[in-house]
Amino acid sequence: MRWLIRRVIKQGKGAVSYEEDVHFGDVLSIGRAADQAIFLSDIRAALNHARVTSLGPGRYKVESLILSGIRVNGELTYETDVAAGAVLEIASNRITLLDPPRDFEAAVEIGALDKAEQEAVKAKRAKPTSLKQTWLGKRLPSWILFVAVLLFGLLLPAASHFLPALGKALHHSPLPSTAAWNPGPLDAAHRFFGDDCKQCHATPFLTVRDTACTTCHTRMAAHADPARFNLPQLGEARCASCHQDHLGLAGMVNTQESLCSTCHTDLKTRTANASQLDDATDFGRHHPQFRVRLPAWQADGGFAPQLTRLSEGLKENSGLKFDHALHLKPELNSPKGRRNLQCSTCHQPDAGGLAMKPVDFESMCHDCHTLGFDTFAPDRQVPHAKVAEVVYMLDDYYAKRALEGGYTEASAPGFVQQRRRPGEAALSQQETVEALSWARNKSRQVADSLFTGRACVTCHAVSRDAAAANTPGSGWKIAPVRVAGIWYGEARFTHAKHSTMQCKDCHNAEASASATDLLIPGIDNCRQCHAGESGGSKVASTCIACHRYHQSTSLQLKQL
Amino acid sequence: MSARHDSILNHARSRWLWISLTLSLAAIVAYALHSPSVPPNGGTWLGYTLGSIAGLLIIWLMLFGLRKRSYSGSSSLRGWLSAHIYLGTTLILLALLHAGFQAGWNLHTFFLLLMLLVIFSGFFGVYCYLRYPTLMTRNRDSTTRNAMLEEIGELDQNALALADGIDPKVHGVVLRSIQNTRLGGGVLTQLRAHDDSDAALTGIRAALEAREKTSQAASGAKSGQTIFAMVDFLASGTNDRQAEALRKLIDLLSRKKALASKVARDIQYQALMEIWLYFHVPLSFATVAALIAHVVSVFFYW
Repeated sequence: MRWLIRRVIKQGKGAVSYEEDVHFGDVLSIGRAADQAIFLSDIRAALNHARVTSLGPGRYKVESLILSGIRVNGELTYETDVAAGAVLEIASNRITLLDPPRDFEAAVEIGALDKAEQEAVKAKRAKPTSLKQTWLGKRLPSWILFVAVLLFGLLLPAASHFLPALGKALHHSPLPSTAAWNPGPLDAAHRFFGDDCKQCHATPFLTVRDTACTTCHTRMAAHADPARFNLPQLGEARCASCHQDHLGLAGMVNTQESLCSTCHTDLKTRTANASQLDDATDFGRHHPQFRVRLPAWQADGGFAPQLTRLSEGLKENSGLKFDHALHLKPELNSPKGRRNLQCSTCHQPDAGGLAMKPVDFESMCHDCHTLGFDTFAPDRQVPHAKVAEVVYMLDDYYAKRALEGGYTEASAPGFVQQRRRPGEAALSQQETVEALSWARNKSRQVADSLFTGRACVTCHAVSRDAAAANTPGSGWKIAPVRVAGIWYGEARFTHAKHSTMQCKDCHNAEASASATDLLIPGIDNCRQCHAGESGGSKVASTCIACHRYHQSTSLQLKQL
Repeated sequence: MSARHDSILNHARSRWLWISLTLSLAAIVAYALHSPSVPPNGGTWLGYTLGSIAGLLIIWLMLFGLRKRSYSGSSSLRGWLSAHIYLGTTLILLALLHAGFQAGWNLHTFFLLLMLLVIFSGFFGVYCYLRYPTLMTRNRDSTTRNAMLEEIGELDQNALALADGIDPKVHGVVLRSIQNTRLGGGVLTQLRAHDDSDAALTGIRAALEAREKTSQAASGAKSGQTIFAMVDFLASGTNDRQAEALRKLIDLLSRKKALASKVARDIQYQALMEIWLYFHVPLSFATVAALIAHVVSVFFYW
């Protein structure tokens, strides 16, 4: 087999010359040994470095004879079949396998790599020695992350605000919607529509409007008439000023004192005397004495309590006469034996626990205070009722007694005193007229004595119309009575929350001998336990512990 | 004056440490004194204040990337880095106080987590900057990587020449060793300080010593393994000149191996000093995006 071996010799300035040689044999040996077909002088070549076998025209088999292998077309290999054009790199030599020219079965070309080429090969083979040369980068990941976060964190949710269909779709996908912006759990009552941010946040970049609240809270009372009291100039009072959502169960009602105290200072001048309320900024330090609703009545009998500032020695008019001290004495003598009366004997809280039930004569007083009127009939009593009822009852009673006979009082006519037996003739017409006349007089006398001396006046204030003064049994009036009721008109006091206390802790009833003593305590009594916002050891009580903000009885928020 | 080394942590008498501590203390005091009627959150006046400070701080911290590339700054880059580290650390506290320690399954907490990732990757960076330059200097032993690489090249040439005088087989082994010495590589290779130089060298030496002691040829050596091939050759009664050359060759290769390990370690230290930045920087940009999303979304649904 004939091999053409062509050496490329560079002669400087780009000039190249060729030196051709012929080799006979099946195998072309390459190495540094003297017997090699291709002799390489480079120390980096082994003595017997490689072997090329021709497999046919233009096809060769390249074998490495050393352990480190041989680089064919840039790839390290031990043995490979290649076509013409393959390049072997050994040390600084490049051996190209060629298509054999005429008269040859195989051909190679050997050239030396010049310095620049060697450097390029070296650089190409060098592995990266710093992270900058690897696939790692900062710019692209930065951009990707920046855009991704902005897209999923902001743009997509924002788009879902404007495109409800997108919002709905996002809601049913794992992708973030506006729900991803929710900074905290909603108030329990708001959760049923909490998926839809727009229910409250109607317009982007605007705070929640009050109308969003009053859409549902239709019957919420206003605070006061903004026009009359100049409210807008006193300070911002949006719903959200006090009611902040997204703070879980804790945040919905703001109890801070300053929400009230910023306005409730110098109200008189700031509202141009529209409000006569005194300043109040802190219950413990700066709060006026209470005003109580003292019972009072209009001329037509209508109840019209008078809001009066509590003061030393202030009297009340309940319409009753009552000695608390006397009734609270132990071992009280009663028709049914000795009794110990308690406060709760007469004062029972109503179902709501807020106030006391009205005092009830029949169940509370009647055991001792009987309403008998006739010694001949000690069991009979007048009803605890209106004057007219009492008088009717007496009229009926004595008429019946007169007609029946047997009423043995000395002042009665004889046929009245006389007991009639069965079968006896009835009274004559004249006698009947007389008997009834006596009965009427008798009943009116008894009535007069009941109203003036015996029964009613024990507890009630009884008066008489001057015009009827000379007519027996008529013109009597019982003064109206109010014992239990709402005393603090502007605050909400509830007995239910004070059930651990004893009555006498606040109401000095044991020392009171007169019903006109006002037993409603003032602010000093409350301050024993309660203080303002920074209460120290006392119960911290801010304004809305007792007062309501939404207190207007005539104006609703929705109307504003 | 003490000759204390001015590092990124105690730059200018730890000026930035004190500034950061003051800022932190002020934030803590304000938070403690602040008693909003609602649970502390980003929407109170203090929440807005702390949030604004933290937001501006993030933007300022990002500017470090610009400052690093400009060589015309009036203040020293070390001062900037010192401030970057301390104020960045303060950011954790400011963010937590701003949020009132609230967290939830939402964008805002995601933002917080991203920010914490950036800061903690920065902590690793501080650790690297404090630790590896010293190790790097010690490892290089007052030479440079290029010098070491050049020396390796020279050693390779010498070893080849020496091996050639011994035996073609040995020459082949050395040639392979040269080819296998590949310094650097992929990310993991760089981080693991793995050089592909002939790891068998120590084995050769150990085997050689063992052979010399016993001076008994072990028939069990597998001819396919070059180490044993070399040792076999050495043991099979060659002349003294060759044995001497072979020992010299092993010394050369050992020296080369040591150098290659040093270069690999040098590459490793440099890679460790840089790798955290490939997390820190992209995550910081994600944090800026989250900051934008956080601020806009909060006021979008005011």
